[in-house]
Amino acid sequence: MFDLWRRRFAVRGVLWRHYLDFGLTNVPFYLQPVMIFFWTIFFFFLAAPARRAILSNLRVVLPGSSPLLNLGRAWLTLYNFAWAISDAANDRLAQTEFAYEVEGAEFLDQLAAAHGAVLLTAHMGNYDLGAAIFARRFQREIRMVRAPESDEQTAQHLDASLERAGAGAVKVAYNTSSMALPFELLNAIRQGEIVSIQGDRAVEHGSQRAAQLFGQVVRLPDGPFMLAFVTQAPIFPLFIVRTSYHRYKIIARAPIHGLRTERGREPAIEEAMRAWCRTLESVIAAHWSQWFSLVPIFPAR
Amino acid sequence: MSHSTAREIGYAFALPRLVARLGGRKVRRAELSRGEAYGVGLLVFGIGCVFAARAILPVVRPLPWQLVIALFMPFAIWIAFLLLYFVNWLIVAFLRRLDLYSGRTNNSFQHFVIISLITFLAFRLAQDESGWLKSLGIFWLGLVGANLFSIVILRILREEDGVGA
Repeated sequence: MFDLWRRRFAVRGVLWRHYLDFGLTNVPFYLQPVMIFFWTIFFFFLAAPARRAILSNLRVVLPGSSPLLNLGRAWLTLYNFAWAISDAANDRLAQTEFAYEVEGAEFLDQLAAAHGAVLLTAHMGNYDLGAAIFARRFQREIRMVRAPESDEQTAQHLDASLERAGAGAVKVAYNTSSMALPFELLNAIRQGEIVSIQGDRAVEHGSQRAAQLFGQVVRLPDGPFMLAFVTQAPIFPLFIVRTSYHRYKIIARAPIHGLRTERGREPAIEEAMRAWCRTLESVIAAHWSQWFSLVPIFPAR
Repeated sequence: MSHSTAREIGYAFALPRLVARLGGRKVRRAELSRGEAYGVGLLVFGIGCVFAARAILPVVRPLPWQLVIALFMPFAIWIAFLLLYFVNWLIVAFLRRLDLYSGRTNNSFQHFVIISLITFLAFRLAQDESGWLKSLGIFWLGLVGANLFSIVILRILREEDGVGA
């Protein structure tokens, strides 16, 4: 009985996703900031593992920062996360209008025109809303690879939400140990599709290798780089961060190329991963309160 | 669903739209204003808290208890709002069953009930003897009145522009 209740009210359970949908279709827009504020306080205490993960990431991203202030920063990160998932749901359910600006518009145009590309992003800002915006704005299909959700019903709810928000142009695939996925993605890129992958966290059974991030050795997925190397498709780093109420900034950075040379595959992949890590560091350092890596990334200290 | 560039101005309420228009700025109806969302939200929630504190605190005697209640008051009002949304949702579900409500979301009904309730609380505060409570009540009633007036003016202006009501 207790176990049933525990699963029902688990932080990552589908109940809260349904409750969010209820809130956004029942709370007038001017009361949503107040509600998000109080729900963030509630989840700050309930979601202890996520809070600890944010704290451990902050210690590395902001070296020498005060532990007390970092508690406030962790709350702010959860507050931004609450806004991110609320805005994505608002987009889908209430078709709310969002304003956005673009940094690196030339790279975004290159991505839109690319015949097959890897869109490399992070658990940062509003990646769900970003994929939907991109697919609708450029009328391009996106195949989005996500880390598997711990709750099956939550995963189904997210899939349906994303596919609905992208008007069918966003297809979700989960990064599991299945051998079929890499071949599926390879074919998709070769056929000219855009494959979106979150490259700031390796999943347990996924292909990964060591990389340097903020001076620490971390495990990052190397799948996107292998895909890009094999298909010779460019990797476009892309992020979408919240700047204000219902306002976002799309940050597109220069593409990374894993070109085939006589040096072979490994040096090309290593070099591309290093370039990605530098990009990731600069974006995280500027927007640390929107890095929603709710599991520890860095080795425990 | 639509998207706009970051510089565009949009307000959901008629009063700021009218003010912006009179100031010569191009404005339209959209939920893009941070000031509007946070400002009105704080006022609505704040009036709820102030009214509840005005009713409860005078009957609590020891000062430490008054402080504890004042500290937990916002959380209690938050929960009261959650219950209100739920009751309104039940009413809307009943109205939908009778084909009397067909909105995409329940927000317009919730908005009507919440603004009516807060206006009633503000009216009661406006009758209070305390100066600042009276001012708060009058301020809210003035805002609601000015917004209703702005709706009428904007409608007239729109008809003059040939856009239609």
